[in-house]
Amino acid sequence: MGISHRINRRGFLGAGAATVASQAFPSPAFAQAAARVVVIGGGFGGASCARALKQIDPKLQVTLIEPNKTFTACPFSNTVIAGLRSIEQQQFGYDKIAAGGVTVVAQTATAINAQARTVGLADGSSLGYERLVLSPGVDLRFDALPGYDEAASAKMPHAWKAGEQTLLLRKQLEAMDDGGLVVIAAPANPFRCPPGPYERACLIAHYLKTRKPRSKLLILDAKDTFSKQRLFQNAWKELYPGMIEWISLSQGGKVNAVDAATNTLITDFGNHTAQVANVIPPQRAGRIATIAGATDNTGWCAIDPVTFESKSAPNIHVIGDACLAGAMPKSAFSANSQGKVCASAVATLIAGRAPTVPKLINTCYSLAAPTYGISVAGVYQPKNGVFADVEGAGGVSPADVPADFRAREADYAQSWFATITAEVFG
Amino acid sequence: MSRLYGRDAGDITTAMTGFRDGSLPATVMTRIAKGFSDDELRAIAAWLAAQK
Repeated sequence: MGISHRINRRGFLGAGAATVASQAFPSPAFAQAAARVVVIGGGFGGASCARALKQIDPKLQVTLIEPNKTFTACPFSNTVIAGLRSIEQQQFGYDKIAAGGVTVVAQTATAINAQARTVGLADGSSLGYERLVLSPGVDLRFDALPGYDEAASAKMPHAWKAGEQTLLLRKQLEAMDDGGLVVIAAPANPFRCPPGPYERACLIAHYLKTRKPRSKLLILDAKDTFSKQRLFQNAWKELYPGMIEWISLSQGGKVNAVDAATNTLITDFGNHTAQVANVIPPQRAGRIATIAGATDNTGWCAIDPVTFESKSAPNIHVIGDACLAGAMPKSAFSANSQGKVCASAVATLIAGRAPTVPKLINTCYSLAAPTYGISVAGVYQPKNGVFADVEGAGGVSPADVPADFRAREADYAQSWFATITAEVFG
Repeated sequence: MSRLYGRDAGDITTAMTGFRDGSLPATVMTRIAKGFSDDELRAIAAWLAAQK
């Protein structure tokens, strides 16, 4: 659809005087009109960025490279695991993005030549660019936790990329007998969706309480603190008394290895054999960021917070979960904000002007139950080369509020998902 | 939930100012509005008012 649109547009230009004139007298204005921006990764960051680029400057040639024809959103995928929502409600296509003039290429990017400014695709073809935006999300590190590789994830799902893994964890919970033990292994920071493991604990507990009330849920954590901690812990006590146990790093919660054959998680203080084991392993920026030379020794991408340009790979911008965004968490909302700000910076740089210093917002909702929502919000601006919280703004939902407040936040969570997915894909 | 696009810019600015100083109760907007200056709130309101 994107390709046919591009051909139509070229056909239109080819029939007009502008093309003839530009061939005879190349003008800076026309050279600018032909500027090419390639965006790799069609999640919340990349799709937002590609769309915003085209809206800011319709003359830009914008290509979005994404191998999957259907995007499966991670936010709200914990409700699929809990049986509250179907996976289809998480799925979106790229037709509307293509209809807006973005060329959508269903290929995997396999090579980047930063000097020649080209992207190589799995089919052997190559695309040139003036500026490249990487929004590759995270790769799960199958080398970081002994015993946990891709094969083990078929037995002990991570469900940290929405899709088959989400459905696998759902099926395992459905198949489990009442009285079983569910274990969630949560990673150290930084990782995608900091409140995600704890929301997942709530929503799995919601399912267990309703259908398998003698079951238990154990969280083995590689951290001593986590996002919205007090709110989550209050919700566990209030909604699921005696069902959820959290073992922190200093209590011996860090999982050092797993044995997929026996569904066992191994810590310094003993082994836990689970009926259902959800292992969320350490993560890093998606592989193409390393191929581009944009990752540092942490596995993530250092960026200039004004332009999102990589600190190590010129003309390459990195947004979303893959980048080190200081105080901004790795969330869909952050990726969407960053995609739009990056698009503005890229269009401004291509036009030969200096980008303005941005201010960005994030809000992350979590559901502790279908009508019990909590949130963390922040406003961010560049400070000393990284994103810092704007002082006095942001924070988490209040601790002591009536049930109606939690119900409203649960409603707003649903509205947020409908709004962001409509803006990015609709 | 009703849309913000196309609403009167003055009304949006008044609401944002109320969220910021706490006179207008809310769940999350009270936390977000505190991150913006008067000029920024007016710019946000003007942008939202211009959308269809």
